[in-house]
Amino acid sequence: MADSEGKRVLVVQTSGVDRPRRTYAPIFYAMTAAAMEMEVLLWFTMEGTSQLIHGEAEKIELEPGSGVTLKTMIERAMDAGVQFSVCQQSMALFNVEPKDIIENVKILGAASIIDLTLDYDVVMYF
Amino acid sequence: MNMAEHPTVRNCVLPADLYYVPEDHIWARTNADGTVTIGMTDVAQSLAGAIIHAHLKKVGTKRERAKPVATVESGKWVGPVKTPVAGEIVEINPRLETEASLLNKSPYKDGWIARLKPVSLEADLALMLKGEAALEAYKKLMDEKKLNDCIHCEGYEA
Repeated sequence: MADSEGKRVLVVQTSGVDRPRRTYAPIFYAMTAAAMEMEVLLWFTMEGTSQLIHGEAEKIELEPGSGVTLKTMIERAMDAGVQFSVCQQSMALFNVEPKDIIENVKILGAASIIDLTLDYDVVMYF
Repeated sequence: MNMAEHPTVRNCVLPADLYYVPEDHIWARTNADGTVTIGMTDVAQSLAGAIIHAHLKKVGTKRERAKPVATVESGKWVGPVKTPVAGEIVEINPRLETEASLLNKSPYKDGWIARLKPVSLEADLALMLKGEAALEAYKKLMDEKKLNDCIHCEGYEA
């Protein structure tokens, strides 16, 4: 197995807070890749945008009583060095303003994502 | 290893004979043959919760200081184990492949992670803390980061 360090991974998340069971795993993969010294970008688009709206991720706790909410996962991923970005067109579609989005998330357009898919070593879609 | 025999900070065991990098939650032990054994601290295992998998780098891998020798996963946490010494991995703990919970149960003995042949030991040791200085630094770090007291979810063994 080739050494994975330094590789670039793009993780695309299309599911939002209306489908909680599809929210944790992509973030966990992103966090794992970051822990393995890869450069990781999480890209939230379509319904995925809803995960990044202030106050939403706190409401999701997959394992009740664990104290680990979707917000916890997002914070852990950011601490691990995962970069976060969100789709401008999806925000417009769902009437989400930049002020509605949590801190440290870059807003990017569709052309940027096309560039990124070509630039990264691997793209994981969820 | 009896918990009562070792210094503790907030119920976290921190044996006095080891070197520490508190911010990376790593310990190191110098061996008579010149190699260094490393592992994750009681604080780290407590933060992670029940560990279900450890992915270790191969023997022969050369590492710079602070680069990961392993990735450790619990159900909802994953993080790197960063080597505090630069050098070559000469041995990895074979038991961790099937018994990752050793990292919880016995972080300083059966749950050791890797043994390295260091290339700049003196310089690397100078960057680590030992004894009272390590305890003080760990207490400060735990207070600053608002970390919970250690819990031994899988028990604590020698």
